[in-house]
Formats: sequence, C-alpha cells, structure tokens
Amino acid sequence: MYCDKVVELLKELERSREDTIPPYNNDGINQVLSEMKTLDAEIIDFLRKQKDNLPLDAIRLRRAAIERNKRCLMTYIWTRLQRLKEMRWEIGAILPSDVRQNLSQSEIEWFNNYCKTLVSYMKTIGSDTGLNLTQDTKPPKSLYTEVRSLVDAGKLELESGEVLILRKNSQYMLSRSQAEPLIRQGILEQVRQ
Amino acid sequence: MFVEDLVKGFYDIISKNKILILVNYDVDAICAVKILQCILRFDNIVYVLVPVKTVTELKKAFEEQKVDVKYVVLINCGGTLDIIEILEPEENITFFVVDSHRPTDICNIYSSSQVRVLTPPEDEEKIPDFEDIFNENESSEDEDVDSVEPDDEEESDIVNVNSVEEQQNKRRRLDQSTLIKRRERRRWEENRKKLLFDYTQFSYYGRSAAMLMFDLAWKLHRESVDLLWWGIVGVTEQYILGKTERMRYLKEVELIAGHIGRICDSTIINDDEDNMSQSSMSKPSNTSTQLRIESEKDLLLALYRHWTIECSLRYSMFTAVSLKLWTIKGEKRLKQILAEMGEFWFNNSILIYLRLPLAESRQMYHSMDLGLRKQFYGMMEKISNTHNLLQMTYPSFMLHQGFKTRYQCADYVYSMVATLETNSRENSPTQCFYNTMDSLSRSKKEFLDQGIEKAKWILSNMFRHVQAALDMRQVILAGPFYYLIVQEGTLHSQHYSNPHCLTMLASFALRAQVASSRKIKATRLPLIASATLDSDQDTCLIVGIPPITESMPKSFFGKAFEQVSNKTNIEISLDYFDSSIAKMQTKDRPKFFDALTALLS
Repeated sequence: MYCDKVVELLKELERSREDTIPPYNNDGINQVLSEMKTLDAEIIDFLRKQKDNLPLDAIRLRRAAIERNKRCLMTYIWTRLQRLKEMRWEIGAILPSDVRQNLSQSEIEWFNNYCKTLVSYMKTIGSDTGLNLTQDTKPPKSLYTEVRSLVDAGKLELESGEVLILRKNSQYMLSRSQAEPLIRQGILEQVRQ
Repeated sequence: MFVEDLVKGFYDIISKNKILILVNYDVDAICAVKILQCILRFDNIVYVLVPVKTVTELKKAFEEQKVDVKYVVLINCGGTLDIIEILEPEENITFFVVDSHRPTDICNIYSSSQVRVLTPPEDEEKIPDFEDIFNENESSEDEDVDSVEPDDEEESDIVNVNSVEEQQNKRRRLDQSTLIKRRERRRWEENRKKLLFDYTQFSYYGRSAAMLMFDLAWKLHRESVDLLWWGIVGVTEQYILGKTERMRYLKEVELIAGHIGRICDSTIINDDEDNMSQSSMSKPSNTSTQLRIESEKDLLLALYRHWTIECSLRYSMFTAVSLKLWTIKGEKRLKQILAEMGEFWFNNSILIYLRLPLAESRQMYHSMDLGLRKQFYGMMEKISNTHNLLQMTYPSFMLHQGFKTRYQCADYVYSMVATLETNSRENSPTQCFYNTMDSLSRSKKEFLDQGIEKAKWILSNMFRHVQAALDMRQVILAGPFYYLIVQEGTLHSQHYSNPHCLTMLASFALRAQVASSRKIKATRLPLIASATLDSDQDTCLIVGIPPITESMPKSFFGKAFEQVSNKTNIEISLDYFDSSIAKMQTKDRPKFFDALTALLS
C-alpha cells in the first residue's frame, strides 16, 4: 500500500507525550522520500511508454499518493516545530540534552533562529531593558507566591540581595519571578490556597 | 519585654524585612501561622517558615536559617526557654514570641529589646518584679562572692583604688559594710530562689496564639470569615484538649461572638434591605450559599455530625466516663439512653412512627431523618439531666458553607489532631504538618474529611485501650500518682508515641480510673502515662497530667521531672516545648518512677 510509511511516522509522533519530542526518524523519512521518487518514476514511465492510451486512473492514484506523502511529511515536521516552540516558552533558550539529541540538524538551526528572533523582539518592547514575555504568560494574581521546598537546595540570592537558604520541608514566600524557574526544576512546590 | 501595641510594636517592625517563622507542632500554632501568613500575603513580605517539634530542632532550624535574618517569630515555642542562652543569636536579631505556654521565661520578659513577648501579661501569672530577680550592678559580683574567699573579693573591689594608704582605712570600713551587704545579698538570693520556684513550679497554658494573631488581623483591618474561623479552631483546641478551664473558654467565646456579629452581620443587614426592596425570592439562596459562622450551644460528643450517634456516644470521653461505658452496666445505660431517645422520637413525631430509632442511631448522622436531626440537641439536653450528664453542652461555633455538610469547630480540632499525628513510613512528620495546615484551607476539604475518618479510628481505639487498661488493672497507683504504661506490642501502641494522642489517652484513662474507683482520694491524684517512642533507640515518652479536681489545668510535672533528673543520674530530655512531656530511655523508666514517688510523697 502506498503511504503506509508516512502514516506510521505520524502515528509514532502521536503516540509520544504532548510535551516531549521523539527522536527524529531519519530512516522513516528517507523511506517515504524514496517511495515518492519511485512513484514519480512510475508516472514518468507511464507517460513515456503509452502515449496514446494513457492509464489515467493509475497516474492519478500515484499522483494523489505523492501529494499525500508530502502533506503528511509537512505535518510531521510542523508538529515537531510546534512542540519545540512551546518548549522555548516553557523551558527557555537552553534545551536539555535529552531533547537536543532527538532533534535533527535543521531543527536545531530553526530553534536557534527562533530564539534570536524572539529575543530581539522582546528587547524592543518596554523602555530600556525590554520585557521577558515568557515569564508571565497569564496575568499573575499576586507578585509573590507561597512555595515549599522539596529538596535541600542550598543558598538562593533574592532580588534584594538577601540570602535565603532552601532546606527540605520549609515553606517560603518568594517573588513569583524567582520561584517559577525553581518550581519548573522541581526544587520548589507551589502551595495552592 | 512585652509588646504593648501589636501593630506598632510587632507588625510595623517585621513588615520591612525578611522574617523567619518557627512553628510548633500543634493545632493552635498551625491556626496562628495560617492567619499570620494571610496577613503577610497582603504586604508581600518574604518569609521562611520551618516547623519545629523539639528544642533540638529549634536550634538546628535557627542555625540553618539565621543568615541575613533580622526578625524571628516563634509561634507556640520558645516562650518558656531562655532564648538568648539557647540559640546564642547575634545582637541584631530580634525575636518575637507568640507562645501560649506558661510560665514565660523570666529572661525573655526582662530582655531589653532582643526578645519581645507578644502576649500581654495576665494577673494570674504573678510575674516576679525585676528587682527581685536581677541585680544589675552586683549580679556579676554575686557569683564571685560565692566562689571566691571574702578577702579576695574585697581586694578585687579595691583594685581600682590605687593608693595604698587609703586601702587600709577602707578595709576597716568595708568590713562592716560588706557584712551587712552580704547578709542582704543572701536574703535576696533566697527570696529570688523562692520567687523563681513559685513562678516556674506549674506549667499551664495562656491565651490561644491563634486568637492573638486574629487580634492582629483585626487591628490591621484584614479580618475575614476564614481568619476568624481559624482563630476559633485555635481556641477550641485548647478547650477540647483540656488546656484551658471552662471560665476562660467562655470569656473567649463572648469575645468571638462580638467578632462574628461584626464580620458576618454586615451581609445579613444587606440582605434585610434586599428583603425590603421586594427581592425576597432570591434572598434565601444568597445567604445559604454564603460562608458564615454561627454560634450555638453544642454537645460534648465527638464528631457526631460525621458519625453515628451510637458510636459518638460510646467513644466520646465525656459520655464514656460519665456512663462508665467500659462496664456491662455502662453498656446497659447506653442502650437505655438510646431507647429513651426512641421513645422521645416516638412521642414527638408522627411522621416517623414506623422507624426504629435504634436503627437510626446506628446510621450515619447526616443520613438520619431530618426531623430527628433537628430535635437531637434538645432531646440530648433533656436526657442528659436524667442521666447525670451535667455540663454536657457548651457554647460552640458552626461553619456553614453553601449546602455542604456543616462543620463544628470541634470537628476541625479532632480532624487536625488526627492528621497531625498519623506519621508513618510514607508520611514524615513534616508532611503531616503541612497536610494539617492545608486542611484548614477550604479548597482542600479532602484533607479535612480524611482527618475526620482518622480521628474516628483514633477515638474508638483509645476507648478500647482504656477499657482494656481498666480491665487488666494497668492503671497503677504508686502513692502520690497513678501511672499507665502503654506496653509495646499491644494493638496500635505505636500510635501513642505522639504527644497529643498520649495526652488524650492519659486524661481519658485518669477520668475513667477516677470514675470507676470509689475512693475520694482518687480525684486528687495526677496521672503519668508512658509509651514507647522509638523501639530501635529504646526510648519512651512520658506525659504527666494534673488531677481532675484542679480547676485550672496546671501541671507541676515539668518541674518534678527536672528535679528527678537532677537528683538521680537518669537522663531525661525535656525536649518538647510542653514541659510536662519528656523523653527518656526505656530501661530507666522503673527507676524514674521510684524516684518520682520519693520526690512527691
């Protein structure tokens, strides 16, 4: 059957969790590409051999298969890029190594370009220092938040210059901007009211 | 030193800086800290909160967190200790003490500025005067006098006088004056010792810390129904766990009723206005969905709104003791009460004539017939008079929230104590602490309901334990006091390694023992309960509770434990903030009881 390979690729992507990126399936993509080439060669073959009595249906079928392959490949790449984009907003400019391993060369390139564009855009907003758009994607209810420490993380320097010591099983009131990255790293846990 | 004005002397100072809050493991302290957190949130004050169980933990937590900290708030801990001596803080650190434990250490009271006690002094405390305890000029010399020979002391006095001639003259004069001085000093010393002994002899509890924090919120105009409710829970804990006497509780209830009038009434008035302006149809639903507190009289039955009436009657300390439910006779009495209830229902309501009240009493309270539920209080009141259950009712508070089950403040207390003391392998004590704290937030009702289930389990086990202890005669009279040892290996004995549970067991056992023995003397005896704390380290926990005839629940065990450990070489660590709770090696326990008997008789 035509197009089996590419559907397999998409299924693989769908089976993975929303917030992760599975390894870039180079083999699968090459197989799909070669399938497309064969189909193309077959069409040209038809055209050459039978000039009068063209098997139009066969050509149309192959043509549709090529189009479908193309669409599906685009979907594959686009979905991956969307996830990567989300990661830029969630995690930040530096990707964890396990994510980085799963990316293809061109994806890394795209990511770097995206970071550059985003940073240069954020610099232009606001008066002088720019505005970090990734910080509060939703308007926060308060600037400070209550957190509990899950591990002995050691010293933390506050924006005011004071030093705070994070010990397991203590509760803190911290500014949201400072607490958020630590919550993402799993060092702190937010206390809901 | 005492802080006169909570806002100026406390809040305005701490609100400028990062603060460290140290909290003891008890319900009152948790309520207090919850209120304080709420207040601090308004001003975005950065704080660090560390729960501490013992003095050792207090020291450790302070050592770890003292970097860059200027203000430390101690909640229900540290008031009875000399903070400066124990923690050895730097000069620029100020301590604010919110502690319901009494007596407050004399050094904390007279500390010039580093330690500030927030609870205002009360008349009953009888704090000794400054002059009687400290002698500014001579205090350092005093110590010298005792150790050094008299002649040397005079020389040391005279060192600053250089001339040799004057020295001899002065010597003669000094001989006279020093003699008088020394006599005075000795008298003063004796007086000091006596005063200090009188002051520290009994340990007891003062005003609830939660209520004090609510006062602060009130003065800052930041009060709300939630904050008031937490304050009420703090006060109720003191009453339910026998930390305060009835009169004091009633006084507090009056104050709270005033607060309720202020906070909850404003909405009702609005509703009345609404009523006038013909929107009466929508009004009732409005009030019933609102969060509100109502004060009403309630029964001293544990958790009966979430349990069956039979169970609640059986396992509540008050009814169990007055009806002597551990005997066969008691069991009959319980049946009789239930039967009378049935009759009562039968006479009063035509609607339910087909139901069997006994069956009703065995189903969950909230699924009982509505008519029965409405009459339950009045009926119990009537029955209580005929069965010698005086003082079964007490003024209490209810939290109404929408159409959900209503909670009485005692329900909260039982649930929180149960949550606080169910540490096991998967739940560390700190985890329990935070679960307890979370169960106060209305968004986390599930913790509260879990706590209620645990509390039922604890109460029923406690009843069985007391029953078994009385049957096996484990409550032993040792001259001037009773003692009860929870043997290791008995069912659920590991549960009593927590101070609150052991205290509850002890007071239950003492009351039960007094009720079942015919001697009048029994009412005047205290009880000591002991349970294994850690079987690996072979340590045990001892709790002393005062006799039931004491009108004020004052305990002299703290001082007695201290003296026993001084006289004998038994190592007793008074590590808990409550001085009548101590920890020691299990093998020393028999020796300890002997020494205590000798001391008290």
